[in-house]
Amino acid sequence: MTREEIIQQVNTVFVDQFEIEAERLTPEKQLFTDLGLDSLDIVDLLVELHKSFGIALRNNEEVRKVRTLGDVYDFLEKYAREHPEEIHSAGN
Amino acid sequence: MASDLRRVVITGCGVVSALGFDRITLFDRLLVGDNAVRTMPQWELPGATGTLLAAPLELPHEKILSLDRKLRRSMAPVAIYAVLAARDAIAESGLSDEELTNGTTGCAVGSTLGSPSAIHETMRLFHESGLENLPAQQFFKSVSHTAAFNVANVFGLTGALLAPCSACASGLQAIGVAYDEIRLGRQTIMLAGGTDEATPEVAGTFEQLFALAHPAPGQDAAEAIRPFDANRSGLAVGEGAAVFVLEERAHALRRGAKILAEIRGYATNASGRQTSQSDEGAIERCLAAALREASLQPANIHYISAHATGTRQGDLAEAAALARVFGNAVPVSSLKAQLGHTMGASGALELAVTLEMARRNTLLPTANLTAPDEACAGLDLLRQPRRTALRYFVKDCFAFGGINAVLVGEFSPPAES
Repeated sequence: MTREEIIQQVNTVFVDQFEIEAERLTPEKQLFTDLGLDSLDIVDLLVELHKSFGIALRNNEEVRKVRTLGDVYDFLEKYAREHPEEIHSAGN
Repeated sequence: MASDLRRVVITGCGVVSALGFDRITLFDRLLVGDNAVRTMPQWELPGATGTLLAAPLELPHEKILSLDRKLRRSMAPVAIYAVLAARDAIAESGLSDEELTNGTTGCAVGSTLGSPSAIHETMRLFHESGLENLPAQQFFKSVSHTAAFNVANVFGLTGALLAPCSACASGLQAIGVAYDEIRLGRQTIMLAGGTDEATPEVAGTFEQLFALAHPAPGQDAAEAIRPFDANRSGLAVGEGAAVFVLEERAHALRRGAKILAEIRGYATNASGRQTSQSDEGAIERCLAAALREASLQPANIHYISAHATGTRQGDLAEAAALARVFGNAVPVSSLKAQLGHTMGASGALELAVTLEMARRNTLLPTANLTAPDEACAGLDLLRQPRRTALRYFVKDCFAFGGINAVLVGEFSPPAES
């Protein structure tokens, strides 16, 4: 997957699940303070990313370090590079 | 001590139903004969006798989106219905944020068993995919007190939080325990009512006991539910919610609130004998206890809003108990031919309609009651709307598990001429 495809797929999760306008979704945004998510939303973010990308994240130590939307993109881009056979794009 | 008991009044009422989202619209649609019962071909239930019936409601999407996302994410339909009804009840009562949040206000909202749709989804997710696909609040959408705690969270209530889950008596029991909370001086205000969802799993429970109605050949779905009728064949599940603001009378008077009605008496009991069948002796004792608490005689009552769901045995037991207590002097009707059996919501929803009947001086009949069962003939069964003054009324509910609940109320304000 390209970074652009990952960004598009992640942003779809934020629009659909967290009802955030697409134009607000820029990489520097802090998930908690800028986008208004809370700890319960982070659980749902992992669930939605699992459904969207097909990767199990509950026990992934790295994903717990994300703070910004850009961190989410970076995490998934790195994951796709290291495990291309595991990650899939929406609709697959 | 009895002399210390507070008087309890109703100062607000909100409704979410298949025939309207306020009690005036609901009353008007019932009056003109609208009917929410329809066939549900999308409800596939192996082993069922033909297509299932239900009385579903369609909630406009903008009503759902009017609730903040972070509050809404813990809500299944059963909670959304209750929260929307509570919001309208609060608005009608004119309660301030201070009154809602200072600890003197609590809530009691009942439902049959929480959210059947969320319970189904929770178990499916657990079994099919474990935790990876389980949303953070999926469990909280499911639980037996989901409607009650969501109402408390949305409105910032910090008083008592109660959630009777007694199947089809839940809503009336919630109003009963809320009335007790205020009567005993524990709370000044309680948001109280019932809510429920219609799902194929719940319908299937009734179908398994042969209690679900199926239209006769050539009969429209709207004609299938026939409480007290000789040709009744069962019930259809319905859904919705009604929530009331119950308030200590003195407090309501001090703040100049409009009083809709006073709760004069309440009783609940068990048959202690049988799970699924109504027990006329236990119903009779429950009716008598509620009247005794209200210090009223059967002859004082002007209207009975019956439970009557349209099942063979249930309607008979209720009719027998009502006839023994009231004879044929008190008008009786059931709204379930048009609304279906809204189960945990039914006591509250039908009480809301009763308040509107009183305000409009018009008793609503039982729809589809064309040939009253001779075994129910000892009652004044309403088959047409009746113009009459209504001051004292009875609402009764009966539930699986042998539970009975009866509320006696007094309509307060001057009726329309």
